[in-house]
Amino acid sequence: MASFERASPALKEILLRIYRNHSHNQCCSCHYSAEKPIEVDHHLYEFGSVEYHIKSSASAPQLTYLSISTPLLTQGVLLSYGLSPYTTQMVREISTDVLEIVEPATEGYQLTLRLDFSKIPRGKDSLKVITEVSSVQSIILSSQLKEMLQSVNSWDASQGMYKPIKLVYHPREPFYVIRQPHKIVAVFPMRFKDYSDVIIATSFFQWDFPYLLPKQELMDVGSSEKWAKAPPCNWSPIPPAELRGEPLEDLSTNGGFVSFDISSRHVEGKRLDKTVWSLLNFYAYVKHHVKCTRGFIQRRMRRRLESLVEVLQNSSLEDDRHIRKFQENAGWQYMKKLVKLSSKSKILKRSCRDFTRKIMRIRFRIKIHGFGRFRRRWLTMLKFSSSKGYTKLE
Amino acid sequence: MANTLRLYLTCIRNTLEAAMCLQNFPCQEVERHNKPEVELKTSPELLLNPVLICRNEAEKCLIETSINSLRISLKVKQADELENILTKKFLRFLSMRAEAFQVLRRKPVQGYDISFLITNYHCEEMQKQKLIDFIVQFMEDIDKEISELKMSVNTRGRLVATEFLKQFV
Repeated sequence: MASFERASPALKEILLRIYRNHSHNQCCSCHYSAEKPIEVDHHLYEFGSVEYHIKSSASAPQLTYLSISTPLLTQGVLLSYGLSPYTTQMVREISTDVLEIVEPATEGYQLTLRLDFSKIPRGKDSLKVITEVSSVQSIILSSQLKEMLQSVNSWDASQGMYKPIKLVYHPREPFYVIRQPHKIVAVFPMRFKDYSDVIIATSFFQWDFPYLLPKQELMDVGSSEKWAKAPPCNWSPIPPAELRGEPLEDLSTNGGFVSFDISSRHVEGKRLDKTVWSLLNFYAYVKHHVKCTRGFIQRRMRRRLESLVEVLQNSSLEDDRHIRKFQENAGWQYMKKLVKLSSKSKILKRSCRDFTRKIMRIRFRIKIHGFGRFRRRWLTMLKFSSSKGYTKLE
Repeated sequence: MANTLRLYLTCIRNTLEAAMCLQNFPCQEVERHNKPEVELKTSPELLLNPVLICRNEAEKCLIETSINSLRISLKVKQADELENILTKKFLRFLSMRAEAFQVLRRKPVQGYDISFLITNYHCEEMQKQKLIDFIVQFMEDIDKEISELKMSVNTRGRLVATEFLKQFV
């Protein structure tokens, strides 16, 4: 799952660009200033082993082929091979005019769609259609989960309880769904690699999710009505009673178990897709939060370090500054006296030197590059009486 | 609560004022070497009795003195697991950057969270009173910073939970 939005941002941007190019060409075609249609062949890889292939040829610029490869939701040990008719029907319903499923799919992909941009309505609706097309991966996963929930009869008469359905999206992160008459309970066993991640996540589950429950006394009365619609959630360090009988390896965790009670209110109409997407993304959401918290702690520590070090540096330098200032002030008077006492002959020599330099600058206003070297080598008079007592051989 | 903290810090300050009388003392074992005797502990005649100041079971301060160096080890209070990891992370972060602090030890003494090593050279470069003020201020700042970090982490968590559950509303 690339992000927590249903629509893939990268795919949406590419499709929008192709659509805008196509619609621009259509508008300009009568003025003979249309740009040459471009060939598009993009491979997109997103987090969660999702792969997209977008292809558009210059010969048929209004048609774009979109192929998708995504890990499918599996039920326990039963692996999913390909897409069920229900899933393909849900994909078709994104937009029956614009979208057509190509069979067979491109090799290496589970689904190939042919998008006809000429049939996309103009204006704001175009963005809506493209956004829905970009969320095809979320629709595939959501429809799979819906189908499983609808078809499976989880009542276990021998045990007198509803058997949990194990769903696997990521191999190491299965979660359970228990269908009951009036609600569906989703249980997430939480596992983390790092001990500090476990602590951050545990405090998040223990203190932050229950805070929003309407039963909490600390909550504002004003917001209780709003949060009454949210599904009740619980965290426990031990497996809940509903998971009794499941294999031990699935129930051994270090982050406890988070469970959500999904009622009919949360699966009515358009809310069903949102609820399903939120449940599928719960693991990624929690891990993203833990990672961001660690980054936040690191940034804060760095800022604090600077302020702590400053205290020590100020304490050591403060008096030094006073001493140096005093020394500078005392030294300035001394230097002044020194300057006054320097010999008059030296002052005369200095002023003569400056004068001759000025004259030379006036005389040699025209500068020839390299002439100075030439002059020094060939035009200088040789000194026969050397102060060193010998003549330097070149 | 504030009263006990004040008393604790005042006791540490007074002890440091008495203990921070350091002078240059070359090593007796190896000639032309000058080592902090509190670290080596080879010559008992150069060491003073260590002083342990406890605020409670969780918070304590160990001050070990010798003729040319002084070691201060601090154990910071950790009320729960979250404070435990925050303290560990923060103090380890500071210890890894000990060169910025000059008087900080890279590794804390066994059983403590952070340690300082002050030698006679530090006392020559820096003022004694300022050093003591720094140590005491450091202790207050660490406590404050850990509490603020914990509160910020919880606030962030609450916001994240709100955003997640908004999708169902």
